[in-house]
Amino acid sequence: MHAERRRAPITLHGTVTPRMTILASVSLATFLVAGLAATQFRSQPLASSNRLARDEALRQSVNQLEDQNGALKARVQTLQAQVKAGEDESARRSSAVQQVKALLDEQRAIAGLVALHGPGLTILLHDGVDPGDPADRSLGWTVHYQDLQDIVSLLWASGAEAVAVNGQRVVPTTSFHYAGVNILINNANRLTGPYTLTALGDPSTLANGISDPDQLAELKSRNRIYGLGLSWLRSTRLSVPAYDATFLVKSAQPLG
Amino acid sequence: MLNHSADRTARFQRVLIVSLIGLGLGFLVVVQLRSQAVVARTLASQDNTSVALLINDLNRANNQLIQQAAALSQQETQLRQTLTAGGADAQGISKELQTLREVTGAVPVHGPGLQIRILGPIMDFELQDLLNSLRAAGGEAFALNGSRLISSTPIASRGNTLIIGGHAVSAPLVLLVIGDPEQLEPAADLSASSLQTRLQVDIQRKSDLAITEVISAHPLIYAQLGR
Repeated sequence: MHAERRRAPITLHGTVTPRMTILASVSLATFLVAGLAATQFRSQPLASSNRLARDEALRQSVNQLEDQNGALKARVQTLQAQVKAGEDESARRSSAVQQVKALLDEQRAIAGLVALHGPGLTILLHDGVDPGDPADRSLGWTVHYQDLQDIVSLLWASGAEAVAVNGQRVVPTTSFHYAGVNILINNANRLTGPYTLTALGDPSTLANGISDPDQLAELKSRNRIYGLGLSWLRSTRLSVPAYDATFLVKSAQPLG
Repeated sequence: MLNHSADRTARFQRVLIVSLIGLGLGFLVVVQLRSQAVVARTLASQDNTSVALLINDLNRANNQLIQQAAALSQQETQLRQTLTAGGADAQGISKELQTLREVTGAVPVHGPGLQIRILGPIMDFELQDLLNSLRAAGGEAFALNGSRLISSTPIASRGNTLIIGGHAVSAPLVLLVIGDPEQLEPAADLSASSLQTRLQVDIQRKSDLAITEVISAHPLIYAQLGR
């Protein structure tokens, strides 16, 4: 009798009882939890052999070196601020030093050691769609460091007064290059897409430079073929950060 | 009355169960998203050669940053000592100004480096690649056929003619680069190996090169100081 009463709530008249609701909820939730747990398990790096462990160790080294890189830059920036404070104090004490300090401040702005703001152009660049064509080995759908270099070079030629790529200031010593598949700039900063290039200057002149059909012709054709993203936007106020390190000249000496 | 109370308890239990399941699901979703981010950060999708090259670049960059920090620390100590003694460090400021003028190409410089002679029509992107490699290898000052080059010098090709800073330069091209030849030469050799399929490239070490050309900085018209 008792057992019959326990089974009784399941009816055949389209009525859904609270117990059925709980049962359905728990089943659904269990299914979802199991699915997520399985996905979670699959996303964990599997270190089932020495080779996998070695691969993981290599990647851990990159993380450690990048952390160290960030800490060193922070240290350099702190020291730069301390030096600048000392120089400001020196300039307050001597009018001769004040004159040299004014020249130094001007050079700092030219070299990219000072954040700037003003009107300009923002250029957005992102990978297109892999055509999945085994015959097409051009990798034309991806953004290469040469694309960034070409745009930056065109911006300078179009009168840019300052340029930054993904928040990294382009300074006189900046180089764009590959380390394997990684695009590096300024002290091994890894650039990843989507890419945002910021240029300060006359927005119309900069936009005319980029939109000139004779310029960036190869990049624009990849934009049409692979859907590689290339767009630009004029702005009345943009900002570029200061270079996040400093310059050390060891071999070059002033002439004369 | 008892049934009413039991209903309320059952409803409470259902709400509690559903809430707990929701919490559990939310937790798992967050853990899932974070673990994907970690996998991306650990460069899981990259081949080992890329990772090894990245490690090499990071080591080099970190060594440079350590040297920069040491130089700044020394400069800061000297400044502090001068200020404590009641003076003003004019010498330190002048030295820093000189360094920045060398970096921006505002003064003539000399030093050890490479002389790279290129015979044949080099394209703008090929020259950019070469300059990028040499800068990454520590190149400090550059000049090509009498034009000083910094990263903001526009380089373009019109047909087979190379245009540097708006001026056409013709072959043979002679690129001077000042820096540590030990570091520069492997980078130059690597770039030359890709150019030498159609150009003749001759690389010579020089104990002292002079770059007399300078760059006049354009005044800032649109950009203003500060963020």
